[in-house]
Amino acid sequence: MNTHPNDYIKPELMACCGAREIRDRDVVIVGTGFPTMSANIAKHTHAPNATMMQESGVYDAQPARPALSVGDPCLNPGAAMIGSLVDVMGLFLQGGWIDVGFLSGSQVDKYGNINTTVIGDYDKPHSRLPGSGGANPIGALAKKVLIIALHDKRSLAEHVDFITTPGYIDGPGARERCGFAPNTGPEVIITNKAVMRFHPDTKTAYLATYHPGTSVEEVCKLTPCKLDVADDVHETEPPTERELKVIREILDPYRMIKIYEKRGYV
Amino acid sequence: MSKLMTMEEAISQNVHDGDFVYIGGYVCRPPFGAIHEIIRQKKRDLTITRSNAADDFDLLIGAGCVKRFISTFISLGLYGLARCYRRSLEKGIPHKIEVEEYTNLSLPMMLMAGAMGMPFMPVKDMVGTDLMKIRSFMGENKYKQIDSPFDGKPVVLVPALNPDVGIIHVQQADESGNAQVWGIGGDCKWGANASKKVIVSCERIVSRDTIGKDPSRTIVPDFKVAAVVEEPFGAHPGYTPGFYDVDFSFGYVYQQASNTVEGLDAFLEEWVFGVKDRTEYVQKYIEKFGYSQFRKLQAKFDYGYPVSYAY
Repeated sequence: MNTHPNDYIKPELMACCGAREIRDRDVVIVGTGFPTMSANIAKHTHAPNATMMQESGVYDAQPARPALSVGDPCLNPGAAMIGSLVDVMGLFLQGGWIDVGFLSGSQVDKYGNINTTVIGDYDKPHSRLPGSGGANPIGALAKKVLIIALHDKRSLAEHVDFITTPGYIDGPGARERCGFAPNTGPEVIITNKAVMRFHPDTKTAYLATYHPGTSVEEVCKLTPCKLDVADDVHETEPPTERELKVIREILDPYRMIKIYEKRGYV
Repeated sequence: MSKLMTMEEAISQNVHDGDFVYIGGYVCRPPFGAIHEIIRQKKRDLTITRSNAADDFDLLIGAGCVKRFISTFISLGLYGLARCYRRSLEKGIPHKIEVEEYTNLSLPMMLMAGAMGMPFMPVKDMVGTDLMKIRSFMGENKYKQIDSPFDGKPVVLVPALNPDVGIIHVQQADESGNAQVWGIGGDCKWGANASKKVIVSCERIVSRDTIGKDPSRTIVPDFKVAAVVEEPFGAHPGYTPGFYDVDFSFGYVYQQASNTVEGLDAFLEEWVFGVKDRTEYVQKYIEKFGYSQFRKLQAKFDYGYPVSYAY
């Protein structure tokens, strides 16, 4: 029986939600922050043989400090392989070898499409964002994609202002029409309030679990579009004692994860 | 043949107004010495490219050197959105640059196509997204989407890129330009080899014999290289594996400075126009932040098992 200490913070819960989506022997392409944390929790608990790579060209890094970017110096010493963007994005991702991609977005819509390009009109931008980077190919070509987002009316949308990264695009059949592999696409949207999954027929997000401290009603109210609710909707399982021990004693002794609270993940 | 010269000579001889310039790096080994020299020489109307651009591209944009940018991504990493890039696109300061947007799969493939003399490369990303709806200065030639003649599935053809000059910073090179790297590669090998000529900036010049002790590390052969510049600390505030760490506190200095036009001007005055070359830059860094901070960035040594190519 798992025990669940109640002194966790929301980013720790979100990282655990991500970790639980990763299976043993999965090959995971990660960015910094939540993705790395989740993959490492999985490795230290139920998925010891999962491995990670960074798009910059690194496979199975052994960083001695938390990496602050996917090009971080600490990813170099000890890695099993260091190549280039062409190796990771071409050989492995486009080659069809990546099981899990992990993305976050300034704006995410009901089909799991992600916008990291522009808020407002593209030619007269209210705010210009960094652009795709590796996100578009990861969304298109990884077998399964996990999405991290803030749960508010700015970050979630019926339709994103700009589809940088494909989720299910405009619904059933769209990914297939684009030539993407069958049975691929976003698996979950993990927010600071809930976990949403995608309906197999409509390809739209529905509420699967709500985090402790919130409710179905509150989650629906914070969601700017209509949100279907699973028949078996229930509370998200809080971090277990073992998961928290891994986070606090092994992965993040300085509690850097707390910066996500300042970014609104509360 | 020695191509050893100063960065001032390398840039004035090989980078011209209006040129298409590939600039390597991925936090790892950005050629910052060359970037500063391009700004000092007030080069204008450049088209610049690489996957995952960062503070170096932002600085070039803020300094007014850039007309066009073939981009996949630009940010200050830990320090958020790229300030000069945003000011250019949102407010036209110092002028609005033109941006053609790709991804970290398609752009490296375009450089690979250029390097290999192919007209284009097929890629499987971008389809179905709004990246297909925006076309800037490349117009109809940004991409073509076809059904593959082999399996009938949609495929995007992206055009080869052949920059006028590629600029990379590497760990070591010999005087004629055989350039060796280790650690995170980004799209450096393909970008440099796609370019019509290459400027190699390096931490240290080594002999041809030393290059020959581990020739698998060479990413650009000397016959493609037009200039070799020895610039220790040349990637700062980025890092070079085996030489020095990324300088996060200087990243913060740049973020704060680039928040405003006045701040950026003061930064350029202090760190670019206010020094003659990389040597003066390093002196200035030590004067301002102290020798202990400079030492703190230096890498520890952790040599691997030496390789042998003998038979």
